[in-house]
Amino acid sequence: MIARYGMTIDVDRCTGCGACMVACAVENNVPPAHQGANDRKGITWIRVFQVNNGQDYPNRRSAFVPVLCQQCGKDAPCASVCPQQAVEIDPATGIVGQMPERCLGCRYCMAACPYHARYFNWWDPAWPAGMEKTLNPDVAPRMRGVVEKCNFCHGRWHAAIERAAANGRSIQAVDYVPACVEACPTGAIQFGDLNRPESAPARAARNGNSFRLLEKIGTDPKIYYRSTKDWVHRISSAPAPGLGKERSRG
Amino acid sequence: MNTTRRDLFKFVGGSVVGALFTPAPWRLVTDTALWSENWPGIPRPARGEIRTKFTHCALCPAGCAVRARCVGDQPVALAGVPGHPLSHGALCAIGLTAHHLPYHPSRLKQGPAGEAAQAVSAAISKCGPAQHAAVLDLRPGRTASWTYRRAMASVKHGLYLAPPSPFGGSVAFDLHQAKTVLSFGAPLLDGWGTPGNVIAARENFRLIQAEPLESRTASLADLWLPIRPGAEEALAQAIANVLADGKPRSPFAAQTGLTEQQITSVAEELAHNGPALVLDGGQIPAVMELNRRLGSLGRTIVARRETPVPESWKKAAPVTNLASVPDGSIRVLLIDESVMDAYLPWSMIERKLVPDDPLVVTFAWSRQGYARHAQYVLPAAVYPEIFDDIPPAIDSVAAVFRIAAPLVEPPAGMVNPSEFIGGLAGLPAADALRQRADAIHQAGRGTLFTCAGAKSVPVKEVKPDDFWKALNEGGCWLDAVDESGAGHRFLWPANADDEKRSSAPPEDLPLVAITCETRAAAAPLSPLMSKLYQESNLRLAANHAALNPATARACGVGEGARAILRTHCGSAQIEVSLDSGVPPGVVKVAAGPGIMDLCGASARAQVVPA
Repeated sequence: MIARYGMTIDVDRCTGCGACMVACAVENNVPPAHQGANDRKGITWIRVFQVNNGQDYPNRRSAFVPVLCQQCGKDAPCASVCPQQAVEIDPATGIVGQMPERCLGCRYCMAACPYHARYFNWWDPAWPAGMEKTLNPDVAPRMRGVVEKCNFCHGRWHAAIERAAANGRSIQAVDYVPACVEACPTGAIQFGDLNRPESAPARAARNGNSFRLLEKIGTDPKIYYRSTKDWVHRISSAPAPGLGKERSRG
Repeated sequence: MNTTRRDLFKFVGGSVVGALFTPAPWRLVTDTALWSENWPGIPRPARGEIRTKFTHCALCPAGCAVRARCVGDQPVALAGVPGHPLSHGALCAIGLTAHHLPYHPSRLKQGPAGEAAQAVSAAISKCGPAQHAAVLDLRPGRTASWTYRRAMASVKHGLYLAPPSPFGGSVAFDLHQAKTVLSFGAPLLDGWGTPGNVIAARENFRLIQAEPLESRTASLADLWLPIRPGAEEALAQAIANVLADGKPRSPFAAQTGLTEQQITSVAEELAHNGPALVLDGGQIPAVMELNRRLGSLGRTIVARRETPVPESWKKAAPVTNLASVPDGSIRVLLIDESVMDAYLPWSMIERKLVPDDPLVVTFAWSRQGYARHAQYVLPAAVYPEIFDDIPPAIDSVAAVFRIAAPLVEPPAGMVNPSEFIGGLAGLPAADALRQRADAIHQAGRGTLFTCAGAKSVPVKEVKPDDFWKALNEGGCWLDAVDESGAGHRFLWPANADDEKRSSAPPEDLPLVAITCETRAAAAPLSPLMSKLYQESNLRLAANHAALNPATARACGVGEGARAILRTHCGSAQIEVSLDSGVPPGVVKVAAGPGIMDLCGASARAQVVPA
């Protein structure tokens, strides 16, 4: 059966601890910040934004919204603009993959991505002396001048496929979860196959409190957010939660 | 047909233009990209056999269970252990990146251990009758703490110092029994207690958070009470008034910034939706009194048995609260900051030292903490190199014993604090953990949880050697629930915050500085934490401050400006950002080297342009 992996994020449970962000960086060999990096030039495949209801103290209320590649459907804007075919949608999983080996660094995809979920390597990846020993052997570090983004920990998917094949069976739901899902201490992020009605994202897709970011532009994202607060739902129409247009990356 | 020179040029030119329309140049670019991926500047991950090891995180008192994915013996990723009875599979962002700490650029690798030992011995022999040699233990209750206490019992004028603890010691807050929790600024959902345990209990209680800033806990609480800075005690007293008389007394209610109706409603909820639990970030006597009034003592605040120790260890120096030591009386101070639960502002420690030539020695893995003030800084192992036990967390109802077993070998030249301090009194400390494990096994109560199989077995069914082996492989001993704790005598905190009382008058220091992100204050975090502090705006970076725009205008500073933060303890440079969610008159400042010494948890302050 062909899978269509997706995610559900319960905004009301997210404490903004940042465990997903660092677990992702550890898993995918994303280097620590260069001295000149800031919130525009840094690389965070998943980034937790603190959003608020727009009011001042003492009526201010905040929530935390993790934003990663929304894994758009077949019309992913980044895939259609890439001149190098470095962006591919895996028909077996629905995962929008990025191949840094093919990437020219033109950043058309970054301009096209409505979620600002793609990141450019402004510097060569560098770790403090000795720390490169802690790199994940399943993922190659990317070089300066290419774009990268979340791929639902594709290395884990490959490993799960191999393990399942070695045991003579097909991949099960428990075999494969991305690092951010595993690290989330509150269980706010859940992962699964949208084609399986009993999976958490499939259930979330049917939940009345669910919403997707920028749903109106028809990218068919596979990340479903959930919140009982109306003002949290309203941020779904912003280009990037918590950021004004002038502060978007690129 | 004659081929001319012109034809040759036309052919070459045409070929070049034509080639541009073929895939060749693009292929060349791709190949260049492939080549550049493997140039020497790009590190290559090491390959090897994948193994799994288990241990416990020693970075904070939660002591969460850790599953390490290793390539050979090198950990490459850390994760929680699902099904663990204490940490429930959770691990915080700091714990997830702890395997980077041995390679941190500010890691200390050498120090004058021999010279320091001689200096300490000489200074102890010079101690006058009213002077002391003291050990300040920033994580009391460990096996190493017992070594320090035993050593200080043998050393002339020896003192064993520890930060104050709630109700004077072995007391736990049982969130699983609580139906309503009122928190006075305790970061319940941002690192308090054992994060996994708090999350596991969260579904069952209603959380009311009273604090001036909308912290992470406040934003996720069922009700946030935005009180005025420093009004915690007034609110506790106002609620106590409602419980006693049915309404709050006006002076207290007015100080809080809340309406009488809000206070009455909270008090009624605490009284009628019990069992209740009231927590605070510090130790406010009125908060403790509120717990007594609500009947929390013995229900949601319970006595916890001590983890067994060998009988011969009990001839040890008593635990002394730093605040109760006379000022100017400590000649020799040894500070174990290799593991640290709380950072005490240096001003609080400094005034206890003798004025003439005190000797301060610290055991640390970086120079970020007290090492900045010490004559000798001795390099200590850092988690995940250390071999140490972690005492029960504040929300652990039963006694526990778990070991932070090393995942990697510490480099040569590290000084073991308990061996150094034990050596001053001639105590062998190397086998102390094994001796304590044997004492626990001998007591015969409780169960042993093993991470590999996620199973619990009664200790009586395990042989001593197997018990020790299991503890070294990430096992955890959990005591049986203590039924005899009902008669426990809870001790009340003796003093309020001295720092606040001695603060300068508000005319000089018109603002209130409230410190956040305190986990980064004492020791560096993994360089990868830049994802949270530098590459995103998720957390306020060290020495950054947020002010309400109106407050900033009054101070003459703007967005991104450098400014000076001044308190009665000194001043430091900060970078300002504007946030209309911060109350007027408040500076929300992120802890960093120096900021905790300056502000503690909160202090009167002034911000001026740099």
